[in-house]
Amino acid sequence: MSDTKRIGGVIISHGQLANELVGAAEAVVGDLDHIRAVSIGWHDDVEMAKAEIEQAIKEVSEGIGVLLLTDMFGGTPTNIAAMFLDSNDVEIVTGVNLPMVIKFASIARETTLHDLAKEVEEQGKEAICRATTLLLPQKLKKDA
Amino acid sequence: MLEATVRVTNTLGLHARAAARLVRLAVTFSSSVKIRRKDNDSEANAKDILSVLSIAASFGVVLQFIADGADESDAIEQIKQLFADNFGEDK
Repeated sequence: MSDTKRIGGVIISHGQLANELVGAAEAVVGDLDHIRAVSIGWHDDVEMAKAEIEQAIKEVSEGIGVLLLTDMFGGTPTNIAAMFLDSNDVEIVTGVNLPMVIKFASIARETTLHDLAKEVEEQGKEAICRATTLLLPQKLKKDA
Repeated sequence: MLEATVRVTNTLGLHARAAARLVRLAVTFSSSVKIRRKDNDSEANAKDILSVLSIAASFGVVLQFIADGADESDAIEQIKQLFADNFGEDK
């Protein structure tokens, strides 16, 4: 694996969610040239959406893999993304959230596609918490 | 190993953009830089933004920075300065 190559990322969602996620992540960590957002309109044609994803994959691919982050397993963005899974250098992680995009942005250079996909998946799950348990544990004790 | 204690004095606390500034500074040093939140002992790696955010350091929280390595003194000095400047916020 070359030190200079990066794994590319494409975020695919219903509506404008993907654009907004990339925008929010860029506000935190700076420009993300290796990530594209594909927002699929509610009434978009499947072939058009597929062509848009294909184009985005081409744009971010540096030959060492592309991670597709989709909004919801079973939804159209994931189902269309899954059409690219037969290629060895594509992985999909569903349920994308902001910490996952930030995690992706910070490790895309230092790992393999499969390890990156696993780490991003774990980060996404870890980032979901009931804030009370961390910030106000005494409140929970009182309620118990 | 060198340590310093700082208080979070910017209104928004160590929120995403402030944490990003801290991380961008911390990664310029070869030393490891650890953060410990004094009131609950939760710890974070100052070079990992999601780790920094996980300690949820809001206004008033006291943090201990622990730098270890060849440039630990520069690291501590510049991190103290970043907090003293309130991350360029609250002007």
